[in-house]
Amino acid sequence: MATTQVPLTTGEPVLVQPGQTTRPKRFREYLPLYVAISPFYIVFAIFGIFPIAFSLYLAFHAWDGIGPMKYVGLGQFRYLLSDGDFWHSILVTLEIWVISTIPMLFFAMIIAVLLNSNVRGRTFYRIAYFIPNITSLVAIAIIFGSVFANSFGLSNAFLQAIGVGQISWLSDPWGIKVAIATMVVWRWTGYNAIIYLAGLQAIPGDVYEAARIDGASAIQTFFRVTVPMMRPIILFTVITSTIGGMQIFAEAQVLVGDTGGPGKAGLTMVLYLYQQAFTNSDFGYGSAIGWGLFVILILFSAINWRLVQGRSGR
Amino acid sequence: MTAAMVKRGFLHLVLLLGLAISIFPFYWLFVMASNTTGDIFKYPPKLTIGSQLLVNMRNMLDAIDFWGSFLNSLFVAVVTAVLVVFFDSLAAFVFAKFEFPGKKPLFVILLATFMVPAQLSVVPQFVVMAHLGWVGSFKALIIPAMVNAYGIFLARQYAEGAISADLLEAARIDGAGFFRLYWNVAVPVLRPIMSFLGIFTFITMWNDYLWPLIVMTNPQKLTLQVALAQLNSLNATDYSMVMAGTLLAAVPLIIVFLFGARQFIADLAAGAVKG
Amino acid sequence: MSRETTRRSFLTALAGGTAGLMLAGCGGGKNSASKTTLWYWNRSLDDGFLAQANKHFADLHLEPNKIAVDYKPKLLTTLAGKSFVPDVTNINSDIATYFPDQDQFVDLYDLGADKVKDLYLPWKWELGVTAGGKMVGFPIDTGPCAFMYRQDLFKKAGLPTDPKDVEKKVATWDGYFEVAEQFQAKNPKVKFVANISNIYSLALAQSPKQYFDKQGKFIGDQSHIKNAWDRAVEAKKRNLSARIVQDYSSDWSGGYSGGGIGTLNDAVWAAFILEEAAPSTAGKWRVCLGPGGTGNKGGSFMAITKYCKRPELAFEFIKWLQQPTLQTKTYTEIQLFPSANSSLADKAIIAPDKYFGGQSSGQVFAASAKALEPAYYSPYEAIVSTAYTNELLNVENLGKNPDKAWEDALSQARRQIKHKGLSV
Repeated sequence: MATTQVPLTTGEPVLVQPGQTTRPKRFREYLPLYVAISPFYIVFAIFGIFPIAFSLYLAFHAWDGIGPMKYVGLGQFRYLLSDGDFWHSILVTLEIWVISTIPMLFFAMIIAVLLNSNVRGRTFYRIAYFIPNITSLVAIAIIFGSVFANSFGLSNAFLQAIGVGQISWLSDPWGIKVAIATMVVWRWTGYNAIIYLAGLQAIPGDVYEAARIDGASAIQTFFRVTVPMMRPIILFTVITSTIGGMQIFAEAQVLVGDTGGPGKAGLTMVLYLYQQAFTNSDFGYGSAIGWGLFVILILFSAINWRLVQGRSGR
Repeated sequence: MTAAMVKRGFLHLVLLLGLAISIFPFYWLFVMASNTTGDIFKYPPKLTIGSQLLVNMRNMLDAIDFWGSFLNSLFVAVVTAVLVVFFDSLAAFVFAKFEFPGKKPLFVILLATFMVPAQLSVVPQFVVMAHLGWVGSFKALIIPAMVNAYGIFLARQYAEGAISADLLEAARIDGAGFFRLYWNVAVPVLRPIMSFLGIFTFITMWNDYLWPLIVMTNPQKLTLQVALAQLNSLNATDYSMVMAGTLLAAVPLIIVFLFGARQFIADLAAGAVKG
Repeated sequence: MSRETTRRSFLTALAGGTAGLMLAGCGGGKNSASKTTLWYWNRSLDDGFLAQANKHFADLHLEPNKIAVDYKPKLLTTLAGKSFVPDVTNINSDIATYFPDQDQFVDLYDLGADKVKDLYLPWKWELGVTAGGKMVGFPIDTGPCAFMYRQDLFKKAGLPTDPKDVEKKVATWDGYFEVAEQFQAKNPKVKFVANISNIYSLALAQSPKQYFDKQGKFIGDQSHIKNAWDRAVEAKKRNLSARIVQDYSSDWSGGYSGGGIGTLNDAVWAAFILEEAAPSTAGKWRVCLGPGGTGNKGGSFMAITKYCKRPELAFEFIKWLQQPTLQTKTYTEIQLFPSANSSLADKAIIAPDKYFGGQSSGQVFAASAKALEPAYYSPYEAIVSTAYTNELLNVENLGKNPDKAWEDALSQARRQIKHKGLSV
């Protein structure tokens, strides 16, 4: 009686040991199971699937949310493809992504490597580096907004002190992008460092031992042994930061407002969606933008996946 | 020996530099919140802590309904966290320890939902809320978030290893029904992952900005992040007051977080590596 | 503790909690007959008078809500959300953009508004009425424009300084530019205007025709727009602009307070922003009617949404709050320029203004307000206007060729219109 043979008559649910086949039971016994997992599917059906389907429907209409909906066929999509502002927002998002993600993952790896060598107070460092990740986005945008201000910011004071001179950060397109990128780097470096650290710690010691015996230097070990073993984790962080980078909203909106600022330099894709859908009251076009955003996201994630996985044939 | 010491010293230096960068903005925030607006606008800026903190806080409390929005955020975050912990762990338990018809396809659907980006559904989600009559009410924030695939997935992985089949079997022989199996066997074992999910959900809901900005149109029911953004755009002239509000909005979460930080970070890392 | 009790007690708790959750948000969303919710933005209504409203109307129970950040999107989103819609709301000068959704608002004529019609400036009143004759908005304030100039700098340039003389000189645009040239010649470090868009928007502010005609046809390529455009470009050609990117920004304030900009051709509320931004120049300014002699920018309205359960009471409240005597008092309190005829002649308006060296600035603005011809604003103005202002920015700051910029503005405007599905 060590393995479970559940009597059919008790009406109790079926427990199964690994390797045992299930026997067809009465539906009633499965009922509690289905009930238990149903909340997810119900919530997802109403607030996940249906909105997506509805979004596709909306994208074929023009609607301000209040009046009647007007069917416009492919009009919204045609407009999307020819909309300078949409493409501009994609460019802005990508530019910010490049100047934020690459330094961020680089710093994260360095920190992880440093923490991996037996330093004291590792836990303390991990917690301290993680704090930026749980800070309110709005608060960060306000703080950094004042650091990068045109006429009174801390960064300009610093630049002046080292003789470089003032920069009108928030009036200059690249200044704005750098400010937003800085916020992203500040927020996510610690998080990624902790993940890299966990990955490093999962590498068995004998791998390093073998490399040392082979006479590999520290740098060679790093690039030929460590990095390849970390590839799945690096892929994970690249993908998550891609997804995250495509969705930047709060930092940009609080820093430069709904219009995206001078030269629309802070107009990320999601900010543009918000602007068109809710500031311009164009729900149809907002939905079309959402779909455009989705396509770009998939494309870009696929590219990144390919790049990191490389031609290793995995 | 000295080479190693130098190396160690260098190590610590870099780490401390990174630490300083991580923490400095909070110091700076405190400096700004405790000085006058004039001091903030001065060039070069004043770098030391001032004496105006209480004054600025009082002004800020006059300018917006800070405590109201604070409590709103607290309510939403706590309720969602509790619901998520319950529903996610329940579903995870089922997927981990039971067999039933359709289990595989249902699980695949669960995984597939990871693919869906939130921004795609922001507009239609709003319309759904409008039809339900939930725009401006907390339900619009809580219900869509109260159960999620990420949590179920994470908890399932944990449950598979942690819950012993023998224990379940023994309890079932004692006559336990499904719910009792969950409550008495699974929950005590799942406690660590449940607390992780709870904290994670709380933080996510607390910091959420885009969706509450769109859907909480009722001025009485703003969450803290939206109220803070309003404070910022309304009062560019009394900047130190805005900083005081920012300080009060950001710091409490961090202090509370510190209590559970160690375990939380460990769980986060473990989850990422497995995934 | 048998399993039955535990399970039952837990399930009861869960059910109760869920029910509580469902209810906690119920009851809200619907408008009530026992209070009146009001939306407005900071300094669009006098807070003191709002507090007094409840004393005047025993049943009103006014619940005012100050809305910050994107007032119009918030209001439109709320109307789309059909939940927590305010009973009474302020609407800004872009009121025409709400006309396509006019069924969301109560027709104030149905509540007897025409009885007080004569008390208010006709053109302001008409702006609140749709093409079909439905009255959506009740007049609050206006934004009459006039020409403000630094008297001391005019003196230095050998120009007349007395407002009446200056007014004669700048009555036409040609005269205006002559004065500008003379000013710049003798005041090389000072710029005549903050930016060229200001000239453009002012010329538009006094034109009875805007971007669309009453039939909805796009007329943004016609002479009234082109003339305004050409005048702005002229200012660029003669190098009169300080190239301030955004009006009323900190850069703008810095420009005026540092004495780097010599004139401001703008609305009365801009004069008050100027006063706050540049106190160091107090007493050095004078004001007179500018080229064209009139113009209006801004000015808001009050409206009642269809969700209001007691529209008659709400209208009584609006009538009371916007009565001529209170409008006059509001001018003294928060400088909202009245739209009521009798207020315009009131002592308070024509009192000497220290900022303008003792001149009665209010009198000039009142004259500007009275001279305005009604303009037709289409609900779709906002769709096209940014195309023009963006291109002017390019001409001014990036040195773009003005003719190319004009063509681009037109094509961009037409594109936006097509997108909205209107006829071009």
